[in-house]
Amino acid sequence: MPEPEKPEKPEKEKAAATAEPQQPAAPPVAAKPPMPPLEEEASLPFFGEPLVGFDPSEISGSLIVIEGMDGSGRSTQISLLQEWLESEGFSVQTSGLRRSNLVGRDIDQLLAKNAVTRLTLALMYSTDFFDQIEHRIVPALKSGAVVLADRYVFTLIARGVVRGINRDYLSGLYAMALRPHLTFWLNVRPETAFGREFKKAQAISYWEAGRDMSLSHDLYWSFIRYQTMIKREFEAQAKKYNFIELDGEASVPTVNKLLRQRIAEHLGIRGTKYAPSSALAHLWR
Amino acid sequence: METQEAQKQQRSEPAKSTLPQPGRPVPSRAYPGALIVVEGTDGSGKSTQLYLLKRWLEIGGYRLHFTEWNSSPLVKAATRRGKQRRLLTPTTFSLLHAADFADRCERQIMPLLQGDYLVLADRYVYTAFARDGARGCPEKWLRNLYRFAPIPDITFYFRAPLDVAVQRILSGRPKLKYYEAGMDLGLSYDRAESFRLFQARILEGYDNMVESDNFVVLDGTLPVNKLQKQMRDIVASRIDLKRFAPHAAEAE
Repeated sequence: MPEPEKPEKPEKEKAAATAEPQQPAAPPVAAKPPMPPLEEEASLPFFGEPLVGFDPSEISGSLIVIEGMDGSGRSTQISLLQEWLESEGFSVQTSGLRRSNLVGRDIDQLLAKNAVTRLTLALMYSTDFFDQIEHRIVPALKSGAVVLADRYVFTLIARGVVRGINRDYLSGLYAMALRPHLTFWLNVRPETAFGREFKKAQAISYWEAGRDMSLSHDLYWSFIRYQTMIKREFEAQAKKYNFIELDGEASVPTVNKLLRQRIAEHLGIRGTKYAPSSALAHLWR
Repeated sequence: METQEAQKQQRSEPAKSTLPQPGRPVPSRAYPGALIVVEGTDGSGKSTQLYLLKRWLEIGGYRLHFTEWNSSPLVKAATRRGKQRRLLTPTTFSLLHAADFADRCERQIMPLLQGDYLVLADRYVYTAFARDGARGCPEKWLRNLYRFAPIPDITFYFRAPLDVAVQRILSGRPKLKYYEAGMDLGLSYDRAESFRLFQARILEGYDNMVESDNFVVLDGTLPVNKLQKQMRDIVASRIDLKRFAPHAAEAE
């Protein structure tokens, strides 16, 4: 398909600068990727072009992303962070994959039927993602809330790339995604993640083992090989997008404390003391 | 059937996939099939013409497959729900249609082009470029979104003046639907007027692609049979139809 060269529209500067400290400049990337690395502080709200019909100056909240493979402890940490932030008086909205009203359930059905091809699935996930951006994340950010995102474009890009979809294609697709203020990466070994995931359901699912990729008939090895590929992709993204890497092998309280410290700094919260309520105490181990 | 199979045996599977990889340009003629596309605004007459072309080829016994915009069963329910509840924004409207197209592309269009079929498409990626562009999606983003699509062998653009096309639609339809009329753009509270303004933008989008995307422009106001004659002549001159005939091997 011919790509006519159009002059780049000037990107709108975000007026409300965040409290985030200056990040070290990321190394330059070859051939003008549609999603440039975070070179300055998070002053630009989008990776690439702005979302259609959206005024970035209206944003006053914070977008905080937690990334990591299946079994890295993301959901646990988000439940705890939500409670902590609410106890500190912040309004919290959460988001995650397949939670849109538009296509969340359709994707569940596609996954169950396993009749879908990789590109269709990738585009359904992107529809789900942007529906949540437009109907959940942006309204929350406009109202000044803290959005805790359980996974973000980074997982979606990683899953596509390991399935052979061109990285630039995916970066271009998500060029209209909002750039997070903070992106945490809970890094764990696939072997650890396997144990945790197995414990949850006493089984490993088709998709988290990457079985569509025909890596191995042995479920354990399929899981390990697939999650290792995903992990490598996160490693490649970590520098480019300024991930804050945390050791996901550490205990829940330890990881939570590191998260709270970094988030408190960003939001200007003085103390980071927190102990879960009885409702969440079972997660604290 | 037998001759087809004999033909297929001669073709060995290429060592490297010739399927277009998302994000990489499609190598031209990487597959033996041929792709014919019709484009144009609503009411331009394109679907009627493609139907007649299809009948001509079907009656002749050619191997062909017909595919329509927005028709993938996997994605249809989501699109319908999104439209009914008016959940769609320019971005999600565009992405859902891209998912629909990807499904048809990966499961029908590409395998059939590999398998030496004529593929006829009623609307193609240019519909997205014109329509989503009219809704404000950046062109660069749209072009990237669809860059896995094979480039058509012929793209017919049925051009009808705005008034003619709009009149055809308004006289033939009891009520325009919300998204069809472009009501989501907030151009006008009156559906007919909104439709007209929306179609004008789309028409402009199509006109801008005529050169860059090698459209064959046909006059949508001509009588149906004259237009069909032009279309068949162009298809016959540009595509080696013999190879899609039922007894291609014997005829040679």
